[in-house]
Amino acid sequence: MARALVEVLLLGLVGGVVGVHVLLRRLAFLSEALQHTVFPGIAIAFVTGQSLLVGALVAAVATIVLLGLLARRPRVDPDAALAVLIAGAFALGVVLVSHRRGFQRDLTSLLFGRILAVDTRQLIETAIVTVVCVTVVAALHKELVLLAFDPGGAASLGYRTGWLDLALNLVVALVVVAAVRALGTVLVVAFLVTPAAAARLVCRGVTSMMAVAVVLALVCGWVGLSLSYEASVHHGVRLASGATVVLTLTAGFVLLGAAAAARSALARPRVAGRRSVRGTRTVNR
Amino acid sequence: MSALVDSLGSPFFQRALLESVLVGAVTGVVGVHVLLRRLPFFVVAMSHATFPGVVLASVAGVSLFVGGWAFGLLVALLVAALGANRALDETSAVGVVLAGSFALGVLVISARPDASRDLSAFLVGSVLTVTRADIVTTAVTGGVLLVVLGALHKELVLGAFDPGGAAAAGYRTGMLDALVLVVVTFALVTAVPAVGTLLAVALLTVPALTARLWAERVGPTMALAAATGAASGVVGLCLSSVLDIAAGGAIALTCTAALGASLLLRRR
Repeated sequence: MARALVEVLLLGLVGGVVGVHVLLRRLAFLSEALQHTVFPGIAIAFVTGQSLLVGALVAAVATIVLLGLLARRPRVDPDAALAVLIAGAFALGVVLVSHRRGFQRDLTSLLFGRILAVDTRQLIETAIVTVVCVTVVAALHKELVLLAFDPGGAASLGYRTGWLDLALNLVVALVVVAAVRALGTVLVVAFLVTPAAAARLVCRGVTSMMAVAVVLALVCGWVGLSLSYEASVHHGVRLASGATVVLTLTAGFVLLGAAAAARSALARPRVAGRRSVRGTRTVNR
Repeated sequence: MSALVDSLGSPFFQRALLESVLVGAVTGVVGVHVLLRRLPFFVVAMSHATFPGVVLASVAGVSLFVGGWAFGLLVALLVAALGANRALDETSAVGVVLAGSFALGVLVISARPDASRDLSAFLVGSVLTVTRADIVTTAVTGGVLLVVLGALHKELVLGAFDPGGAAAAGYRTGMLDALVLVVVTFALVTAVPAVGTLLAVALLTVPALTARLWAERVGPTMALAAATGAASGVVGLCLSSVLDIAAGGAIALTCTAALGASLLLRRR
């Protein structure tokens, strides 16, 4: 239980920070795709007895390379390329796992993760990923924010935008890989998207968004895990811990959304409000 | 090979074959509209979002189609409402909604003791257990979808390529957009018994993209996509029987392989 809590808090920290960049660059679909495409990597590692982390990492890097190649074809829309990768990778994973006995139990644990079964080695790996990702994002903060708001300006200032894109994609991939074993391959995207989107509803600056996102992810991670533990142990209702954490995050999103709506309803005059606000916001859509 | 000949004789396999051909053909045609309107992320989101509906329907003992369809509509409305908020872009709105709704489905199913088995069936489908009623539902729904798409073909294509022109010509583009979303949701839910919620994405995007590589015009693309989808169903099922692998996964992998081959052959 203590280990699960530490794991959730680490993931909340790194998810909140990186998630803001995912939001700014609209990489939600990429995160979603990555969490599916690492599935066959994990399945192969699982079947051959290799480290799941290595399997997931190889699959994630392969995804980013394949996506780059596919998206260069003029008739292939990038979104369609992502959907194809998701579908193909997921099917491959299912087929690989289905060939073994005990298929359904394995599949369920791969899909939904086992956060209560996190061991110390996994914790250390997650901690390393967290430190690496937060360091990279902090070191490249100025460049990444510039690139998000003004790609043309960043390119004309001489930044290598292609490399910056690649770096950010790899950071997202690392977070997905780290989170996948704890949360499973379908709930990871919640840590990367929901806290940042909630933070975006209440604040404007990039740094303050990161702070709010991290705090929200930490609080919701703790509350969600305790809720699921409490319900399962003391009340006999089995609540999957990963799913409870994600739903708590969603509830946090709804709360902040309601708070933002209430604030704008109270603070602004009703008549001229809506339109004029558009010009003053600091974060572009 | 003898395993294949044996299974071809069994009624399960024949029903599965019929179901996957029907689903493949309908999703192939609908998939062309998905590509034209750049809806792949919406399809992925829907495949996750209909999941809690399917789970709740199974807990409540009502038809899975009804549950998935009702929840899918609810989620489509939520995404539209959140996307209208000036602070959030559509992609993030879709991300938040899909993660939340999928978690809800997992939570409901985790509270039930025999969760694992049901869960896999919803996610990856179990085409070998489709009933006669499932096939009839698929055929009727598919027929209605094709008639709707056929009747509004000209308007839908115009709306996809030139939304401004369609609006200026007096078409109600908002209604047309909503109609396409509803059709996609229907097609997705119809595919659930055969390939499950997650692999339905494959059938709704991959055959259409494959056909797009070979055909220029919308009509032939649709015909080719329907043929690819149906053929993937047949080949995938036979492969799954010979190699003893999950049927839904084999069908999805077959269409992905067709796409891969097309990409290599149509290098230009």
